[in-house]
Amino acid sequence: MANNKVNAPLTPAVLHILLALSTKERHGYGIMKQVETDSQGKVNMGPGTLYGSLGRMIEAGLIDESDKKRDPEMDDERRVYYKITGLGQKALAAELERYRKVVAVAKQKRLSPKPIAYGA
Amino acid sequence: MQRRKNWYAKLLRFYPKPYRDRFGEGMEQTFNDLRRERRESGEGLSGFALWVFVETSAGIIKENLTFMIRQNTTRRIVWAIVAVLILVILLAMQFTNEVQWNEAVAYGVILLAAGGAYEMVMALKKRNSAYRLAFGVGLAGALLLGWVSGAVGIIGSENNSVNMMYWAVFAVGLIGSLISRFKPRGMARTLFTAALVQMSVPVIALFIRPAQVSWGGAGVIGVFVLNSIFAVLFVGSGLLFLRAAHKENQN
Repeated sequence: MANNKVNAPLTPAVLHILLALSTKERHGYGIMKQVETDSQGKVNMGPGTLYGSLGRMIEAGLIDESDKKRDPEMDDERRVYYKITGLGQKALAAELERYRKVVAVAKQKRLSPKPIAYGA
Repeated sequence: MQRRKNWYAKLLRFYPKPYRDRFGEGMEQTFNDLRRERRESGEGLSGFALWVFVETSAGIIKENLTFMIRQNTTRRIVWAIVAVLILVILLAMQFTNEVQWNEAVAYGVILLAAGGAYEMVMALKKRNSAYRLAFGVGLAGALLLGWVSGAVGIIGSENNSVNMMYWAVFAVGLIGSLISRFKPRGMARTLFTAALVQMSVPVIALFIRPAQVSWGGAGVIGVFVLNSIFAVLFVGSGLLFLRAAHKENQN
């Protein structure tokens, strides 16, 4: 069961959230900002998508909630932080491995992200 | 600024309760963080607010559907049957000309109404007797209003376009029920407003088409008496909803 979860491909939102949480635990806004940075502004998640994904990821055991605490860099509101679990780390590693393989195949076929280079 | 914050908090009330209890506070905080970030960077807030509201509304639909489907097997079966029957109609349309679009839409509406009726019965089962009675009286009033205004006409004949104004009563009932999430106090307010709208229709008709305000031989008085019957039903339903709210608070 757990093995299935680890090997199942991840949605882009889940992948970005796991990436954001791979270095440290973060609260909702912190995850959003990290996803924005990691994707160089290309992925913009709203609260609806973010918390919907967080709920499903908690259920799947990929992440966990930690106790409420204050963010010293922000206001003094107490926030729920989210952290990646062992299963989440394995799922992230498996997904990155899939990406590596895809990139390797693309390189083998001499495909480039630049449209002009396709089939060159 | 504060207004948008309040609107967002109100929008979050449309999430299923377990979801709202778990993530509502965090979502509100995140919305406020995003809003503050925008304000500090001097970016406009209107476009941002619209985007977040649309995005969150999509999330609300998704989470409610998920919540409904997970709740119980019977519900899943009911909605699966509704979905399959709608698909059958759509498929049939690809192979035969016997099924017209208007017929397909009518079938679809009937099937969705059947599913809605199941949901209504299940929801009513969880409520107290005063709530069930209030709901029955209000629904009976609405059905009777639809039948009388459509089949016979309340102001003049059924062909008199002034009768279209009664749609406002249905709109108030529907929108009020959804906004109040069928909670008894909100339902009471909705029913009182519906009664007010009901009585406003003949008054407005007197101003715009005075010559047509008549019900058979009973004339203007007949119109007002008939409207009063519906208004009394709605007020009665509203009072029963207040009683239901009182009972719920006691428990």
